[in-house]
Amino acid sequence: MTAASAPGRAELELKALLDAAVDAVIVIDHRGCIDTFNRSAERLFGWRATDVVGKNVAVLMPEPYRAEHDGYMGNYMRSRHARIIGIGREVVAQRRDGTVFPASLAVGEIKGSNPQRFVGFIHDITSRKAAVDALRRERDRAQSYLDLAEVMLLALDVDGRIALINRKGCEILGYNEAELLGRDWFELCLPERTRDHSRAGLVDVMAGTRDPLSHIEDTVVTRDGQSKLIAWRTSLLRDERGQVVGTLSSGEDVTERRDAEQRLRKSEALLRAAQEIAGLGNYEVRSPGGSTWSDQMYRIVGCDPAEGPVEPPEFVARVVHPDDAEHVNREWQRAITETGKLDLEYRIVRPDGTVRDVHAIAQVGTDADGETVVVTGTLHDITDRKRAEEEMRQSQEKLTHVARLSTMGEMATGLAHEINQPLTAIATYAQAASRLVNSAAGADPDDLRDALTQITNQALRAGEVIKRLRGFVKNRSMHTETLDLNHLVEDLRVLAEPDARVNDVRLTLDLAPSVPPVSADPVQIQQVLLNLVRNAIDATNEREGAVREVVVGTRVRPDAVEVYVMDRGAGISPKIVDNLYNPFFTTKAAGTGLGLAISRSIVRAHLGRLGHRDTPGGGTTFWFTLPPLRTA
Amino acid sequence: MKEKPATVFVVDDDDAVRTSLRLLLKSVGLPVETHASAQEFLDAFDPDRAGCLVLDIRMPGMSGLELQQKLNDLHAIIPIVFITGHGDVPMAVEAMQHGAVDFIQKPFRDQDLIDRINQALEKDRENRAGLRERDAIRRRMEELTPREREVLELVTQGKANKVIAGDLNVSQRTVEIHRARVMEKMGASSLAHLVRMVIEAERVN
Repeated sequence: MTAASAPGRAELELKALLDAAVDAVIVIDHRGCIDTFNRSAERLFGWRATDVVGKNVAVLMPEPYRAEHDGYMGNYMRSRHARIIGIGREVVAQRRDGTVFPASLAVGEIKGSNPQRFVGFIHDITSRKAAVDALRRERDRAQSYLDLAEVMLLALDVDGRIALINRKGCEILGYNEAELLGRDWFELCLPERTRDHSRAGLVDVMAGTRDPLSHIEDTVVTRDGQSKLIAWRTSLLRDERGQVVGTLSSGEDVTERRDAEQRLRKSEALLRAAQEIAGLGNYEVRSPGGSTWSDQMYRIVGCDPAEGPVEPPEFVARVVHPDDAEHVNREWQRAITETGKLDLEYRIVRPDGTVRDVHAIAQVGTDADGETVVVTGTLHDITDRKRAEEEMRQSQEKLTHVARLSTMGEMATGLAHEINQPLTAIATYAQAASRLVNSAAGADPDDLRDALTQITNQALRAGEVIKRLRGFVKNRSMHTETLDLNHLVEDLRVLAEPDARVNDVRLTLDLAPSVPPVSADPVQIQQVLLNLVRNAIDATNEREGAVREVVVGTRVRPDAVEVYVMDRGAGISPKIVDNLYNPFFTTKAAGTGLGLAISRSIVRAHLGRLGHRDTPGGGTTFWFTLPPLRTA
Repeated sequence: MKEKPATVFVVDDDDAVRTSLRLLLKSVGLPVETHASAQEFLDAFDPDRAGCLVLDIRMPGMSGLELQQKLNDLHAIIPIVFITGHGDVPMAVEAMQHGAVDFIQKPFRDQDLIDRINQALEKDRENRAGLRERDAIRRRMEELTPREREVLELVTQGKANKVIAGDLNVSQRTVEIHRARVMEKMGASSLAHLVRMVIEAERVN
């Protein structure tokens, strides 16, 4: 604006126009000097027109634009080529107070003026720019959300070409974005067998004949040929007119989850089967909260799963056998309040009256909240096992008895002899006494008294043998008592010695001065010992010219009492040593093959061991050990 | 040989059986001597003592059968009655084959045992009588002159006096005289008696 000359009408009109303009309007000459600076420019830059007219326009620019501007101008003057003319651009402007702001600048050349002049329209775009930035940030954030999403996001156009895919999608498929965009989804990523079907599905969705939100699982093929199972949710993309332009799908790679689910299902099925086979149920009791039972729990207890678990107080009252209820209740309380553990066997009664034996194991703990008491446990139906154990025990007892009888049978000659001796003495004494009484000379009273005393003694002697025999062969259950093995060996002599004698074998005892007491069934241990003596005698007979002696001895070992039976007989051939303790293995013509097998099982039932070693100089020494009784 | 009373020797390892037998035999007036083992009996054995042996067939150490074998080896003539238990029959048979008089199973009737013991004692008496007879014959034979013994030998070979005279290169009459003296010294009542005595004398115990 020229202050010197009075304004003409056109000029006044122009000034009014310029001052009414919303945009800042600035006119500069060919040197860049400000010629006109309208009111909006004054407001925008904080300069008065009088302050800046005649100054270089660079005053409105911050560095580094300020320095560059002269370059632009010079460039334009020389080449007549303006980068800016007619197109407008965003620039950064500076206010008088030094603050800067974004602005849009449109520049026009005022043709025909001389010197040349340019007009610039400047608009503060701070708010617009903020909005655009916000928009961009929003878009970037959206993109990063897309990329961050743990699902594949896929947009297809109406032809089934990939319009958008996020990072996860690329990851799953093994391609980069550029390799996917614009490609036919069905050709590229679906297996041949489902390709057409899926494409038809898309067509249906586009046509609106199929619910696009329906959840489907489909297999895709990755770049390296792997199959992955994707769970899809699909929605339609429409333009502003409501026209369907494609689909947007989110796809989740469920391959591993499905595998895991399948594995879980399988292992659950296995667990169910295992529980059923084993008769093992498990449960959890939460307090507060109530119980959860496995299927097998219901089966063991005989309840209907539809009725739900039986809670503990009711369980004791209704399920546990009345005779065991008090015990179970006590143990349960003790587990919860003191020990934290439950391990007991009891009986339950099913609704149909069947009694079952169960073994319950449980642990008591608290939930993560520290408040809820959680009892986790198993209930094992051990009825069959118990029954089998009982049968096993009974048949073992029968077998033991049979073996005992068999041992007796082998010893019969010796035992018959042992009873025959006192009988012979009794008969002879009685007949002698009778003769003495009837004799003409009359009886010597001393002789008669002697005879009668001897008759009594011999009758008792025979009775003793028979008593021991009866005790030995009686069919009975195992019962243990505190035993001194030295005494047992001495007692055994009555039964074992006759057999030795008839076989012309000397039976010698070699007892430790004293042995710690053991807890054992005397008859069963005698049976073992007799069997070993029997074998020792047989082994002695098998060897021509053997030293005819069997030694039965006791020894104190560090942690056991040993009883041994040593012979100098034939020894054990290496050929049979492996089978020595096997049932029904025998080298004897009339043997049952049970002797050693049963002896060993008897000793094991007493927590001892039975074995053999060579006797130095030939023969075998069988031994067994029993743990000493712990005196509490 | 001086005569001793016949003794019943009892060998049994069982005290009660042994002492009851002692009492029984005492009650019937038989002299008894008991031994607890075969070896003990053998150590005390005197072949000249008359009697019989009551022997338990089963004993530890030396068994009854083994003792019998030892006595046989010693040419002992003592008769043996075995005492056996049930089931010892095979051993009893073996004992009989080796010359036992009899066996008896425990327990037994006293009379059965006593009968067997008496049989055995009778057998012993016979044996010993036989022995004594043989000794007498041998003593008489020892009293013959060498010429008479030659004649006895030829006579008992069944040769006629004439042949004997030729063999000995003496007269028939001389043979007849020797022969008569032999018959007289030997106490033979006939030729047959003489022959029996010679056979008896030549028998081994």
